[in-house]
Formats: sequence, C-alpha cells, structure tokens
Amino acid sequence: MPLILAVDDSPSMRKMVSFTLTGAGYQVVEAVDGQDAFEKAQLQSFDLVLTDQNMPRLDGLGLTRKLRDHPQFKTTPILMLTTESSDLMKQAGRAAGATGWLVKPFDPARLLEVIKKVIR
Amino acid sequence: MPQSSSTPTAPAVQLPVLLVAEVQDSLLVVVHDLSRLDGLLAHTMVKLMERFTSASANLADPALIDFKELDNVRSTLRAAVTELQFQDMASQLIVHTSKILQGCAYRLASESMGSEDGEAVPFVEEVPERPNPVTQDEMDAGSIELF
Repeated sequence: MPLILAVDDSPSMRKMVSFTLTGAGYQVVEAVDGQDAFEKAQLQSFDLVLTDQNMPRLDGLGLTRKLRDHPQFKTTPILMLTTESSDLMKQAGRAAGATGWLVKPFDPARLLEVIKKVIR
Repeated sequence: MPQSSSTPTAPAVQLPVLLVAEVQDSLLVVVHDLSRLDGLLAHTMVKLMERFTSASANLADPALIDFKELDNVRSTLRAAVTELQFQDMASQLIVHTSKILQGCAYRLASESMGSEDGEAVPFVEEVPERPNPVTQDEMDAGSIELF
C-alpha cells in the first residue's frame, strides 16, 4: 500500500490523520515538524506528503521547498493541511511546489478522495 | 501592528504609573489564564484520544466485524474526526492571542514606566505582525484547492 508522510506538530492532528489514512489501508509515517519530516525523507521515499504549515524549526512551505530541491521528491504529491486559508498563503504554497491546499479541519472522506486523486 | 520607531521622551498621553502597572498586571494574568486553558485543552485532548483509540480498537475486533448493527457506531466515530481537530485550532488561536497580549503588556511598560524612571525595560516582547492563522468560526470542514 502507498506510504504517506504525515507532518504536524500537534499530536492530536497526527492521530486524526493517521487514524483516517490507516483506516483506508495506507501506511503512515509521522513527523513532528518540517525538520523531522525532511530527515525522514532522506531515509526513505514516500508516495505522498501531507503537511501542516505552522510548525517549529521548519514550516510546511520550507519543507515543500526543500523536498522539491531533492531529486527523489520532484514529482511526489505534497498536500498542505493547515488552518491558514488566505489567498496569499495559498499562492506561496503553489510557488513552493505544493500540489494542493486543504484548510483544517478536514473531513475524512474528502481527504481520502483528494489523496486518491493525486497519489500515483 | 506598526511598531513605533523610537520611544518619545514624554508619552503622548499621560497615564498614572499605578494605572499602567495595573493594566500590565491584568494583561499578564489573562496571558497566564490562557496558558492554563491551553493546558486544559491539551490534557482533555490526550484523554479523548485515549478513549477514541480504545473505542476504535474495540470496534475493529474481528469478533465484532460481522455485527452490522455496529456500522452506524463506526461511521459516527469516523465522522467525529472532523470535530476532534478542535484542540489544534484552539491552541493556535490561544498562542497567537497570548503573544499579542504579552506584547501589549511589555510595550506598555516600555513606553511608559521604563522611560519614566529612566530605566530600560530589559526585554520587550514584540506584538506579532502577521494576522491570526486561525480564521475559522466553526468546525465545518475547510476548503480544498488542488493546484
């Protein structure tokens, strides 16, 4: 099954994302912030990255830019899942190389639909 | 919020030092209370997660898989995932609000009391310039945009 890297500094959000994804049959690796995620991405490849924006050490946009600079993650879908909903932030996400922008809170069924659509 | 580039030698509005001190104290008490609220929410969330995980695990028991009467319960539990994200959003809201209040409190001291007695305030917390990241008013699922 596809392997997804779920990145969020909130333990409850990681739990909700993991519950939703594993329930649908995906394998999930959790990361506590962008830096942790980037380090994990050095060790193995993922089929999709689902990341929060506002996190300590390295935020979601920073993580996206770093992953896009990495040959292994040039085309990997990267979805932002964040409370941020301004057009300015969405434009920044697009410019950084994100595949899509999901505003919290997420609906489990809709999240799974989007993942199914973008994952290869 | 724009920051003043320099502290004037005399404040534009004269306020009694005692009043400024009381306002600053009140602001810091509110910051402390918000921090306790954040802690209470986090603790509640840990407990809710434990119960949620336990209920989910019990419902996934192979011995109960054939009980179609439980499908409704499973479905309701899955749907609760949306509302169970409240703590992350509430926490971000509390942290941002606390930073603003703390910044106001220290700035008040810096602009009035610090200059009044000639002593510099050792640390001035800056009021965050970026808007609050949480703009949601309810727990309906957020928008989705694919680029």
